[in-house]
Amino acid sequence: MIKSKVLIIDDEIEFASTLCQRLKLRGMAAVDVHSGAEGIACLPKMNPGIVILDLKMPDMNGVDVLEKIKEYDPSIEVIMLTGHGSSGSGVEAKEKGAFDYAMKPLDIKDLLNTIEAADNKRSKV
Amino acid sequence: MKLRTISAARYRVLVDTNIEDRIRQDQIESFGRLMAGFAHDMKNHLGIIRESNGLMGDILGMGALGEDARLVERLEKSIASIERRVAVSANILHHLSGLAHRPDTPCSSFQVNDLIEEEYAFLERFSRLKQVAVEWELGKGLPALYNDPALLQHIIYRIYSQCLGVMESGHILTLITAQDGTNTLIAFRFPRTSRVEDNTFGNDILLAAITKIGGSLERVENKDDTIDIRLVLSSLVEEDTE
Repeated sequence: MIKSKVLIIDDEIEFASTLCQRLKLRGMAAVDVHSGAEGIACLPKMNPGIVILDLKMPDMNGVDVLEKIKEYDPSIEVIMLTGHGSSGSGVEAKEKGAFDYAMKPLDIKDLLNTIEAADNKRSKV
Repeated sequence: MKLRTISAARYRVLVDTNIEDRIRQDQIESFGRLMAGFAHDMKNHLGIIRESNGLMGDILGMGALGEDARLVERLEKSIASIERRVAVSANILHHLSGLAHRPDTPCSSFQVNDLIEEEYAFLERFSRLKQVAVEWELGKGLPALYNDPALLQHIIYRIYSQCLGVMESGHILTLITAQDGTNTLIAFRFPRTSRVEDNTFGNDILLAAITKIGGSLERVENKDDTIDIRLVLSSLVEEDTE
C-alpha cells in the first residue's frame, strides 16, 4: 500500500487526469495539475510525498520545477516524465535530485514499481 | 572484387564544401529537429492512448460489464490489440528520436549494431513491401566506431535500397556485422540475381560518402550462389580521411 500522496504535474490534461484516475483505482491519494506554477502552488496544500513531473511544459521547464520542489521539501521524491528518445534528459534530472525517470508512453507496471520504491525510500527516512 | 573507386580530383569536386553544401547541411539539421519534435509530440499522444486504454482495462477488471463473458473477452482483445500497437509505435518513435538527433553530433562514438538496429526500424517497411525476409548475423563484442553515424546510416540506407532493387520477392537478405582485424565489416548478403551488374553499387555519390567516412565497398561472389556487398570501415577512423 502506497502511503505517500502522489501529485502529477503535466500540461497534457488528458494524460494527467487519466493517470491520476488509474492511481486512485489502485488506492493511492493522487491529484493532477497542469502547469509547473500550479504544481508548486499546490505543494503546501497537498503535502505530496511523491511528484510525477513532466520534463517539458509551456510555462516552466520540468528541471526548474524539480529544483523548486526540492527547495520546498527535499524529502519529496520526484519521478520525471520524458518523451525524448534518449535517456540523457532523464539522467540529467536524476543528477539534479530526481528519484528516477520514466519515458512516455508509460509502462504502468514500471511506474507502479518506481512509485513503490520511492514510497519505501520515504518511509525509511 | 573491389568496386570502382573514384579519383582524388573527382572526390574533391564532389565534396567541395561550397555554400550549396552548407545549405544542405543546415537543411538536414532542420529536418532532424523537426523529426525530433514530431516524435516527441507523438509520444505524448501515445501516452494518452495507452493511459486511456489502460483505464478501460482497469474498469473492465473491476467487473464493470458484469457476467457477460463473451463481451468481456471481446473488449479484452481490443484493449490488448491497442496496447500491442502502442508498444510497436513507441518503439518506432524511440528509434525516430535517435535517428533525428544523429545530425546533432557529426562525429561520435557508437556501436555499429545499435546503429543498424535503430535504422532497421524504418528499413523493415521497404523489405516487407518487397516481400524480402531479413535475417541477422550481428557480431558480438564489436569495438565502438568513432565516425559520422548520420552519414553511415545514409550509406546503409542506400546500399540496403540497392540490394532490394536487385532482389526478388521471396529472397532473404542477411545483414552481417563482424570484426576483421582492425576493420569493422557490414555485409549485405543476398542470392545472386540477373539484375546485378558491374556498376550496380558503383554510384559516385555513394562511393564519395563511403570515402568520406574512411570506408570501402566490396562485392564478393560466394560459392553458395550468394553475393556479399561489404562495407568495410576502419575501427579507428580519422576525422579527415583525405
